[in-house]
Amino acid sequence: MGYAIEVNNVIKKFKRGSGLKKREIVAVNNATFEINEGEIFGLLGPNGAGKTTLVRCIATLLIPDSGTIKIMGKDVLKYPLFCRRQIGLLTSGERTLYWKLSAKDNLKFFAALYGLDKKETEKRIDYLMELLGLKEVQNERVEKYSSGMKQKVSLARALIHDPKVLLLDEPTLGLDPQFARFLRDFIKNVLNRQERKTILLTTHYMDEADELCSRIAFINQGRIVDCKTPEEYKRDLPHSEVLEIKTTLITNAKELEENLSKIPTIEKVNITTQNTITHFKIILPRAEQVLSDVISEVQKYAKILAIDVNEPTLEDVFIYITGRRLTEDTKEELELE
Amino acid sequence: MNQSLRNLLKEWFAKAKHYLRAIWLENLKEWKIELTYKPDFIRGLIDPLVYALPYLLYGIALVGGRTSENLNRLVGTNDLITFVTLGYIFVGFLNMALWAMGFALRKEQHWGTLEAVFAAPVPRWVFALGMALHSTLHQGLMIFLQIIVINLIFKLTIHPQGILPSLVVIGLMLIALYGFGLMIASLTLILKQGWLVSEALSGIMMIITPIAYPLSVLPVFMQKAALFLPTTYGVMTVRHFLIGEQMGFSLWTSFLRLVILGIFWVGVGMLIFEIIDRRTRRSGTIAHY
Repeated sequence: MGYAIEVNNVIKKFKRGSGLKKREIVAVNNATFEINEGEIFGLLGPNGAGKTTLVRCIATLLIPDSGTIKIMGKDVLKYPLFCRRQIGLLTSGERTLYWKLSAKDNLKFFAALYGLDKKETEKRIDYLMELLGLKEVQNERVEKYSSGMKQKVSLARALIHDPKVLLLDEPTLGLDPQFARFLRDFIKNVLNRQERKTILLTTHYMDEADELCSRIAFINQGRIVDCKTPEEYKRDLPHSEVLEIKTTLITNAKELEENLSKIPTIEKVNITTQNTITHFKIILPRAEQVLSDVISEVQKYAKILAIDVNEPTLEDVFIYITGRRLTEDTKEELELE
Repeated sequence: MNQSLRNLLKEWFAKAKHYLRAIWLENLKEWKIELTYKPDFIRGLIDPLVYALPYLLYGIALVGGRTSENLNRLVGTNDLITFVTLGYIFVGFLNMALWAMGFALRKEQHWGTLEAVFAAPVPRWVFALGMALHSTLHQGLMIFLQIIVINLIFKLTIHPQGILPSLVVIGLMLIALYGFGLMIASLTLILKQGWLVSEALSGIMMIITPIAYPLSVLPVFMQKAALFLPTTYGVMTVRHFLIGEQMGFSLWTSFLRLVILGIFWVGVGMLIFEIIDRRTRRSGTIAHY
């Protein structure tokens, strides 16, 4: 079995601002990875890490500055029409459909763009509407649908031509938990297991990536920092535990972070503050060995609300590798999304 | 016929079928969306009439009736009403290219659907032709209604045998106008205020094209500029066929120049479209609104 997607040394830069304030932002920095046919491959990284830019390059919507991308063995720049035929693209956000048209009319239009004749179109629409539970409402205008239903129609649009490769860019973003659950099950059981589609999934939800993906590439500030199976990532943490501390009334977070990092055996410290609550994630081999030292250090700067020791998750692995949380983002990076 | 040639033809027919269906469905999609805004749609049908009537009434008031001897001397027909009505049809065609077709991509950007459309396996010109087909049919409907109503009020007198050749002339002129439409459509992807380009171009083209007056009344430099516009040949040749306007050049010249302008403007339109498409795919601004 060959590769469905091959990304080789892809670099994508954008110019932002104007005049003297003009600057260059590297959105994707030398990205390289391959996705096997029939695999669910995850691109996991915080907002603005370059995930969407990379997906747009693969979908031929952006031209990389350098590097090559192949879909089913063919270069996307040399054979854009062939490559587009192999791809189904689902992006996050509701406004990717014609709201004034019904689900059925939306699908009819896109089926024509993908070269389906009338008979095939009817057959595919019937199949997809049934599969996604939209049969009853298929003739209603999309503007009347809930967010979840709109995302179902967008998914049906991405599947209308029965593509071999699916690019799912943050597919569950902004959806209620119940529908996000449905979509994850659908991706895993129907699209991948039953229909054997190759799926590139971008997300910043670690649970989603952990649950669905056979391999995950961590992307941070445009760079692919690592690429392994979820099990390999967790196994590669050197016998780590994660000590989580919730505090309030913190006085000098930076100094505290530095002091904590100096405690022997502590491998990584990550601090995030939301409103008045500051969370510490401390990655270390055995929490009980240094627990009293950590507590006394934290108490010098803040009031402790809760302490917990956990097994590492994918997010902890991400912090271990990059020093950043998946939920973090920066202003400059967000401009790219 | 050998096997490889047969396969090639089969592939070509399949591709042609795919693209033609895509063009037709793009047109249908636009009609369906338009008809969800019914008051707007009705206003759109009445608009050309509302704009044309003052021209006609103003003309009648100035010359003291529907015939003008001065017009007769300049172009060989004295029927001012038919002369202006036929000319005014071409304002509709200009609007089609510069506004309806020109802003089709901007609309898709606004709806958020442009990326989904551009991710499909059809060349961009297929989508552009779908826009062109819809704009032409829409404008055709408006013009038809306009002529019916004006005919009911003023009783237009035309040579019926000139209708068929006039349609050929309009067809040739539309090809060139699609080039303008393509150009504007792509410019709206990079210019936030793309309407300024349409506004300026339509203003200039409406003055230079001899819509409500003969070409000879324009200053000489404008007459020369008018010779680069397909609408000049369109309006004058159609009036030649329908009411016998004397053009100052032969029919053969008119057809030849329309063909040349068609090739030229479609070439320019497609080139600019291609350049801007590549530019937006490089800069990452394709879906920016």
